[in-house]
Amino acid sequence: VSSAHNVSGQAYCLTVLTPVIDGREMRLAQLLDRLPSGAQSPLAGVPGTHFARWAVMSDVVYQGPEQGPREHLAHARLLFTSNFDGALDPYLEALRTGLGASADDIWGNCIGYPGSAQASGFARYLRHHQINSALFFAAYGDRTVSDVTRSLALRARLIDFAVRAQGMSPSDLQAGFLAEFGR
Amino acid sequence: VANVEGKATAITVLTPVKPIGPIVLCAVFWAARNITSSLTKLQQLSFIHYAQWAVIDRFPDAGEGEALGHHYLLFESNFNGTWDQYIDAFSEVVALRMQAIWGTSYGFPGPSPVEPFKDYIRRNEYVANHYWSAYPGATTTEIISAGRVESALGALRARAAGLEPDAFRRAYEAMLGSIQNDL
Repeated sequence: VSSAHNVSGQAYCLTVLTPVIDGREMRLAQLLDRLPSGAQSPLAGVPGTHFARWAVMSDVVYQGPEQGPREHLAHARLLFTSNFDGALDPYLEALRTGLGASADDIWGNCIGYPGSAQASGFARYLRHHQINSALFFAAYGDRTVSDVTRSLALRARLIDFAVRAQGMSPSDLQAGFLAEFGR
Repeated sequence: VANVEGKATAITVLTPVKPIGPIVLCAVFWAARNITSSLTKLQQLSFIHYAQWAVIDRFPDAGEGEALGHHYLLFESNFNGTWDQYIDAFSEVVALRMQAIWGTSYGFPGPSPVEPFKDYIRRNEYVANHYWSAYPGATTTEIISAGRVESALGALRARAAGLEPDAFRRAYEAMLGSIQNDL
């Protein structure tokens, strides 16, 4: 069993594989396919999430006779992965409270899911089905979601200001800069 | 397409590993984590936000997990740009690394020529049913640039009010010059 390498800087890579209840695979896939995206996504309510996905895995893929006999999963799996800020325990609680009813709508299709009413049971379920990363790369693992969004907004404002400030006198430039960016 | 959110694309690949694979992968991932040049190489792929590799010995279930005939290698990435550009870069920039990692999986045709490599990824890829990004409009490069912009801007902010207008203009122009490639 390989050891866990789920952290890069302050970023955590969570991977959860849960078995889908037999016969629920299509329903689960359709439910996920129909979730609204962007700001309306249930994941928008989970602070600190940089990227996340759900994918229904019906089975493993056979590579041909070289591999030996065909292999099949006894149950389809639901993959959930998230790259988020900070430690796992507070994030599992943020998932529980932030996803709201969506957590039960989704993982309610998985075997053994205890529901989100109890924090400890919910966290234990996801931890029990966690897969550890062997190699996790984060291009800016020291930066939280709010760091990223704040600096992107600041960069956009500076570009805008630099265009407007062209040809200003030094005193107007300084006054404009202080008005725009303060101290 | 559920694998795309704004400028971000998700890739999820799962492949069966040859019997010797887990030992090889353990060494390859150790080297990648501990040898600086390996990480630098990944950073050259400046369009990757986050990526991870994981070796699955048992697919989690209610009990001890479901073991198939082989271990499975999970690859997951969040990147900006198109799927084709991504695999092209893997094939061209980090071909040796790809060979070392996916070479342990059954059916891997090698990183080049690129078309069989792409066919292999396509065949073993899972489409995300739901995909979320906190900043779908931003590329990895923009995020890293924005961090430098914020630092440079913060340094000028700290002293802007205390400078004479002419000195401020020189400091402002020097600041813009220092981050011109980040704007």
